[in-house]
Amino acid sequence: MKLTRRDFSKLAGTGILAAAAPGIFAPALAQNKPLRIGIIAPRSGAAGTAGECGIRAVQWAVERLNKDSGIAGRKIDLVIEEETNPKDTIERLRRLILQEKVDAIQGLISTGVSLGVAPVAEEEQALVVMWDGTTQDGVKEMLPNPKYVFRSTDNECEAVMGSLLAVKHFKGKFKRVAGINPDYSYGRNNWEAFRQILTRYGIEAEYVAEQWPKVGTMDLTSHIAALKAAKPDLIFSSMLFADLPVFMKQGHAAGLFDGVKMVLPAAGWQINQLKKEFTPEGIIFGHNTLYFDLPQASPLQKAFVQDYMDKYKEAPHWEADRAYFAMATYKAGVEAAQKAAGKWPTQEQVAEAIPGLEVESLGGKGRFRKDKIAEQVFYQGPSTNTNKYDFPTLASVDVFEASQLQKPPGADFWEWIKTAKMPV
Amino acid sequence: MPSVDIASPAVPRAMPRVSGLWVLLALLAIMALLPFVASPYVLLLMLPFMGYGIALLGFNLLFGTTGLLSFGHAMFLGIGAYTAAALTSKFGVKSFELLLLAAALGSGLVSIVTGLLCVRYTRIFFGMLTLAFGMLFHSFLFKFYAVTGGDQGMRVLRPLLLGMEWRGGKTAFLTGPFYYYSLVLFALLGLAMWRITQSPFGLHLKAIRENAGKAAYVGVQIFRMRLAAFVISAVYGGIGGTILAVTTGLADPELAYWTHSGNLVFMAVLGGSGTFAGPAIGALVFVLLQDFVMSLTQYWRFVMGGVLVLLVVFLPQGLSGAVSLLFNRRNGGR
Repeated sequence: MKLTRRDFSKLAGTGILAAAAPGIFAPALAQNKPLRIGIIAPRSGAAGTAGECGIRAVQWAVERLNKDSGIAGRKIDLVIEEETNPKDTIERLRRLILQEKVDAIQGLISTGVSLGVAPVAEEEQALVVMWDGTTQDGVKEMLPNPKYVFRSTDNECEAVMGSLLAVKHFKGKFKRVAGINPDYSYGRNNWEAFRQILTRYGIEAEYVAEQWPKVGTMDLTSHIAALKAAKPDLIFSSMLFADLPVFMKQGHAAGLFDGVKMVLPAAGWQINQLKKEFTPEGIIFGHNTLYFDLPQASPLQKAFVQDYMDKYKEAPHWEADRAYFAMATYKAGVEAAQKAAGKWPTQEQVAEAIPGLEVESLGGKGRFRKDKIAEQVFYQGPSTNTNKYDFPTLASVDVFEASQLQKPPGADFWEWIKTAKMPV
Repeated sequence: MPSVDIASPAVPRAMPRVSGLWVLLALLAIMALLPFVASPYVLLLMLPFMGYGIALLGFNLLFGTTGLLSFGHAMFLGIGAYTAAALTSKFGVKSFELLLLAAALGSGLVSIVTGLLCVRYTRIFFGMLTLAFGMLFHSFLFKFYAVTGGDQGMRVLRPLLLGMEWRGGKTAFLTGPFYYYSLVLFALLGLAMWRITQSPFGLHLKAIRENAGKAAYVGVQIFRMRLAAFVISAVYGGIGGTILAVTTGLADPELAYWTHSGNLVFMAVLGGSGTFAGPAIGALVFVLLQDFVMSLTQYWRFVMGGVLVLLVVFLPQGLSGAVSLLFNRRNGGR
């Protein structure tokens, strides 16, 4: 193509006009471009299946949004990076911000990783909505007043609820208690929360064994032998990675669960792997913020679970809900901020708009508090093997709001648990 | 007398032998010019490279020069990182020079204690002992929550460089003053390491690598030399770990985990442990390759594993070894 002087003058004139009046052209250009959302989630290792479940849910959400009008009229592109160790994940975060130039970032499951990532996101002024990973230790110290980082519900919520349901369903039926929990802050906090709640309800339990397998340990026979030797009436375990099905299988083979009551507040993460043949009934079984088989589920949840099970031939768990919730709150925040500003909002404006906005997630309604911690609905109950699946479902469903299980803004978790008004 | 044509070896063209020092200096020169052309993200990637590069200069004194392969060298990077974390976030010490000094002293002291046992052994026994100490240190970091923050690690606050506080965003700090500071540090430590390897001490180490028995026979003090190499390599590891920790803003137990030690070995093999600058080149290629492959596919570990297999089978001398081979062939050598 030959470019004449006249053509060149026209082009140059248009360019100068565009450069001189960015307020006129830039929003229109921005609105035409798809929104780029970065996702950071584990895709391998002990938390790989959880990360994949979240990614599938966010892809499902984006597909639906893009069929409609996207977010405030803009379609969405996902840029997915893997969550690994803190150092490498921080590098992936920086890649999303600086190289991929995403509009927001969602994801993250590990507390250890998220505590490293969050200050970097704050420094880079990048909006991050986390799926999971809010174990108490270190959150206050590392991120006292976040401006851009939104965290999930406290990870201890499921342990608080499981402990309350242990009181509700098993009080007076056990004396000797054993714990087997993952050897990191999540497992230690959950075990301590369980003990504190038993104490608050005046249950004088005898703690006969404590086992701390490292996450991902696939030979648990020595731990199982130690538990069996302690002859517990009740076993509490917040194991939730790929090692939980191994524990159940090996424990069943060793006869560990015969006549023993069990509390597994985070078992829902491994729902598809906990087969009936080695999982006894009557376990206090935690599904966190999404119970896939909820009888009174919303049309949104039913549509998602149907599509998910048809496509992947397995049940979704709470990480799907967390991923959906992150996208839904981001959408609500962008649209509210755009309405308020009358133009495409900055990340800061979106972050200011999100707290208090109630959205419908897969597992129910939820919102972010002013301190940027999520509030969602929790589901647990005694398990049954009488169902059409090859894994347990809930015989009855207990439903608690996060406000009943989670410390209020600014409170210390360990002080709160000693004095809070409990829902049981 | 009849003339007889006698086959003679090809006379090599008069090409200067490229020494490791020149390769390292060329690398440093490129790094110095990079901020004028590269994006902030690429510059951020260069910081782990410089951290690993320094650590690998030390690692290779032990591996390439002395012939001792450590599988627990990440421990010293962990010591450097946690020293920076403890000093900045617990004791309010922000001077980067003090952090470096403390990291060097800390890793040096630990290496004297562990080295007294480790360097009595060679080959797989040395490797296993260093691995054991590395895992002991990892367990300490992981289990002692009150001291180390357990699995959640410890935050590393932004340090002062030469007593000066740098305002502005973290990226601007890292890609500006901290980048050049690390580069100068890399250059100084590189020159120091070159001097060490060319010194009589370095020759002693090479003699030990080639044949410890013969070296001892001619008067080389095997144990002391190996211990000295171990301590120097640990000091380099501690300094490299400090740079890594400031870059990520966090010290976490994974830094001292055995897989991280494995990565160091990978980098050394990738670049070529037989040359002075090889491991530093390996660190650069590793950082860039991992970044590229991780963005390309979720199966990036397969790719990295495949690269390692291909290297061991086809390029046992690493990238620098392969380049040397090509260079020699072009010069008519074999």
